[in-house]
Amino acid sequence: MDIVVEVKDLTKRYNGLVAVNEVSFEIEKGEIFGLLGPNGAGKTTTVEMIESLRKPDSGSIKVCGIDASKGIDKVKELIGVQLQTTTIYDKIRVAEAIDLFGGYYQKSLPTNEILDEVSLNDKRDSFVQGLSHGQKQRLAMALALVNDPEVLFLDEPTTGLDPQARRNVWDIIERLKGRGKTIILTTHYMEEAERLCHRAGIMDYGKIIALDTPKNLIAKQNLDSAVEFTTSNGVAREIFQKLPKVSKVTQDGSRFILHTKEASSVLTELTRLSEVNGLNLESISVRKATLEDVFLELTGRKLRE
Amino acid sequence: MNTLVGQIKLETKLFLREKEALFWTLAFPVFMIVLFGLIWKDDTWDGTPAIGYVLPGIIVMAVMVTCILNTAMGTVEEREKGVFRRLSLTPLKRQTLIGGQIVNQYLIVLVQTAILIAIGIAFFGATIGGNLLLLWVVLTIGAFSFLALGFALAGFIKNEKSAHPISMIVFFALMFLGGCFFPIEQMPEFLHPVCEALPSLHLNDALRMIAAEGAGLGEIWHELPVLLGWLAGCSAIAVKFFKWE
Repeated sequence: MDIVVEVKDLTKRYNGLVAVNEVSFEIEKGEIFGLLGPNGAGKTTTVEMIESLRKPDSGSIKVCGIDASKGIDKVKELIGVQLQTTTIYDKIRVAEAIDLFGGYYQKSLPTNEILDEVSLNDKRDSFVQGLSHGQKQRLAMALALVNDPEVLFLDEPTTGLDPQARRNVWDIIERLKGRGKTIILTTHYMEEAERLCHRAGIMDYGKIIALDTPKNLIAKQNLDSAVEFTTSNGVAREIFQKLPKVSKVTQDGSRFILHTKEASSVLTELTRLSEVNGLNLESISVRKATLEDVFLELTGRKLRE
Repeated sequence: MNTLVGQIKLETKLFLREKEALFWTLAFPVFMIVLFGLIWKDDTWDGTPAIGYVLPGIIVMAVMVTCILNTAMGTVEEREKGVFRRLSLTPLKRQTLIGGQIVNQYLIVLVQTAILIAIGIAFFGATIGGNLLLLWVVLTIGAFSFLALGFALAGFIKNEKSAHPISMIVFFALMFLGGCFFPIEQMPEFLHPVCEALPSLHLNDALRMIAAEGAGLGEIWHELPVLLGWLAGCSAIAVKFFKWE
């Protein structure tokens, strides 16, 4: 197996605060690797060190076998980066910007091919300043793709996008995935990671606290299904813990999540319990467990707090 | 080299698309020379035609718009918007990026000067008495000291909001205290040492002597040390304090 990115014991401190704490992982060729976590977890700092935008305090980074601390110029030829906010000149046209960036690299893909890839063909002659947020984001992906990179970095590619624009970006990433592009993706949208990533590392306070395929991450926590509801009665979680087939209970204020392998039997029990105790259960829903639940389980906090 | 040529083309293209920059660098100086030319067309000051004083002053003003205002504000804008940051992820070298900007500004300076001189000669009886090559060399030294000042300012300006007022203050001070529009002899005595220290004054004096009086290097060389001093000092400051992020 080809290892494209190898990160070992990466650490970065800011004013005594440890932003990234001994993070290690390896990414294989063709893999979509996700770094998930809330804002401030250290995802962006981690990828920016691999992109050589920031210098790590300690640890090592290898991209395609090249030591990033020594071969910055070589690494730049091999990677494509979409920053969280990419701005280029306002008064440059879309196709011009792609041409311009293509000229910076030793090898580059034809501009038309890139425009097709990100579905910006109809905007090729528009000025950057006239693009919508979603279109700007797709242009940022285009600029990251001009050199047909060995590794593509996407830092929160869909943050702040409306659902339609988000789906467009997902489509692009899925097409790249189909062609075997290696991608590092950071996100705080769990559904995004579940949908796109082969493997995901969950980051919290600068550390990777779990790393596996989304499926395994969920399976390992024994969180197969989730029965969610709120109750205004102020009951303790123990009462739900005692219900048969309930493996775990998580509580977030008046909101409870019962994890189980048999959602239907738990629902029946729950209905009986509420009748007996006169509980007022509201907004009940049953769903498959998600990475969101895994995060809550691992950290005791919700992801988007 | 190819990348540098590409960057120069890019910077020129972007400049030509900025209506505001075009107005202040080209339209405004042309408006000034036409206005002042019409007012003082047939006047003579101390025996020399007024246009011989007015034209160099407007050239220096125009050069400062390009080299100080456009450079400082443009650099701060590109830095604060994250353009530099994005470009730093590509193999493009920083020297090439800045080099492209410097060459572009310098080309604009040459165009501005050529247009102003052409208008002055064609419509208002201006003459270039001295050596054109010397005029070009002095203009170039002046332009590069203002460029260095522009980049040095960009290093100190914290954000886009303060870029405009700060570079404007510097620009106006250099313009009025540097004698672009009236001789510094008309200013209060205590300001004279300040004026004497400014690069704009010495560029104005040197250009006027070459253009209106036909002076050679022997007569104007004493104007050069201050210009070269500003060039060296501001370059050092720019290199030391320039911020990419």
